[in-house]
Amino acid sequence: MTVINPSSISGITSITLPAGADNVLTIHTNDGVERFRIDSTGNIKVGTAATISPDGDLFVTGVCTATTLSGAASGLTGALPAIDGSALTGMASTDNVRTGILDVAGISTFRNTMNVGAAVTISESGIEASGIGITIANINGSQIGGRRNIIINGAMQVAQRGTSSTSEGYVIDRMNFLYNGTDEAPTYSQQSISSSDTGPYEAGFTKYLRIQNGNQTSGGGAADYVLFRQSLEAQNIANSGWRSQSPTSFMTLSFWVKSSVAQTFYGNIMSVDGTQRNFPFSLGSLSAATWTKVIIKIPGNTSPTVDIDNDNGTGLNIDIWPYAGGNYTDSGVTLETWATFSSGDRMPVHTATWYTTNDATFDVTGMQLEVGSQATPFEHRSFGEELSLCQRYYQTGFAKLYNANQPIMVMSQNFMPEMRAAPTITGTRFGSETDAIWSSIEVTTSRACAFYKNGEICQQWNCDAEL
Amino acid sequence: MSYTYKKTKGSDGKELTNHIVRKEDNASIPFDPDNRDYQAYLAWVAEGNTAEAAD
Repeated sequence: MTVINPSSISGITSITLPAGADNVLTIHTNDGVERFRIDSTGNIKVGTAATISPDGDLFVTGVCTATTLSGAASGLTGALPAIDGSALTGMASTDNVRTGILDVAGISTFRNTMNVGAAVTISESGIEASGIGITIANINGSQIGGRRNIIINGAMQVAQRGTSSTSEGYVIDRMNFLYNGTDEAPTYSQQSISSSDTGPYEAGFTKYLRIQNGNQTSGGGAADYVLFRQSLEAQNIANSGWRSQSPTSFMTLSFWVKSSVAQTFYGNIMSVDGTQRNFPFSLGSLSAATWTKVIIKIPGNTSPTVDIDNDNGTGLNIDIWPYAGGNYTDSGVTLETWATFSSGDRMPVHTATWYTTNDATFDVTGMQLEVGSQATPFEHRSFGEELSLCQRYYQTGFAKLYNANQPIMVMSQNFMPEMRAAPTITGTRFGSETDAIWSSIEVTTSRACAFYKNGEICQQWNCDAEL
Repeated sequence: MSYTYKKTKGSDGKELTNHIVRKEDNASIPFDPDNRDYQAYLAWVAEGNTAEAAD
């Protein structure tokens, strides 16, 4: 072998290798390792990792680093090697996955349409969901649409009987006030929301229900209670879409609540038909003077069954208690679970902080009961629509008759809308009128009543068909 | 609050059989099984009470 050993060679324009076994050119580093080779076929090899062949092929077994890779996509053939997902970055641009197919095994496919399993298809014309449907909390931050709220007068707008009372019964329509054992009667009233009522104000409410405590000097007795109740007509529940005997069918109760004292309060839902059942719930630990939104998810139940008849009787009572004495509570009660109703097991033991605080207040608005497992924004209804719903249970009228020559006069009155049942009718003197009220009501149905008076009559009559 | 009841007469002077009057508030209560006040009246009768005769 001829050895030429200068530090550099210049001026050489061609090297021709010999024939035969010596028709190969190699370059070695000083340690004797071959670093570069041109073999007899024209392949150029760099070490053992890279080969460039005369037909244009490039074989690299190490790392390829390039600023740009270009060429015909049709030339990319064969199976791609496995790529770790963490290495797939920077694919958001439309320059990347623009056409073709992406299948995520067992989950989704991206082709002409995007499919999630067999139930959901998203295409350029819309979204189809053939399974349980699309569950969302809201659309554009507002109500989804359609009649949803089973509670009547949940925004506390309608108050046909007045705006304040210390007696049991109704002030705000459909919201029945009940108390027992008090030293001083609490006051039940309708109040107006102001901009300082953070929460309900932003949600668009204008009224709320207030219970203001009296001075309970003898403390919280076992038989004492203060609560308000909405009784729901059974057929409104039976036809709501809620399956009361299916654990996978839900209703959701939501409302805003505020107490002047910090405390945990409770409520319960009672089914009336068949064997009575009870579903206790907590309003949570309320901070003083702070509106809090309470959301309770209520499943149907198989054991024990929750029976709801398709009639005009009571289906469910929703009770919310500022205070309940020991006769109605038990430490062993399990929250948010249906059980057979027992008067002494309506809810867990109730703290008496609110009840023993003179003039403490308890405020509620925005009550909504809807089918489904999500609490959607409150369904605001017009005053007239809400009033009409309330008048199925209570409405008033006015009558004034003179009997200048007739010894007996008879008058009939149609109820609009038809009432839930034939109502109990009481009469009150209207304004400054002093004429006597009726002598007798002879006929009363859910649609009308007829009465007579032997003498003058001038009065407001009040028709009550509450549950 | 406990109530008492009284029967009443119609325009023909005969005692009505489809209403009862609650004396404390002069409420006219129809004999409708779905009326909660009629249910309370029936419970009151079941306790052994009897409504007063009509005037």
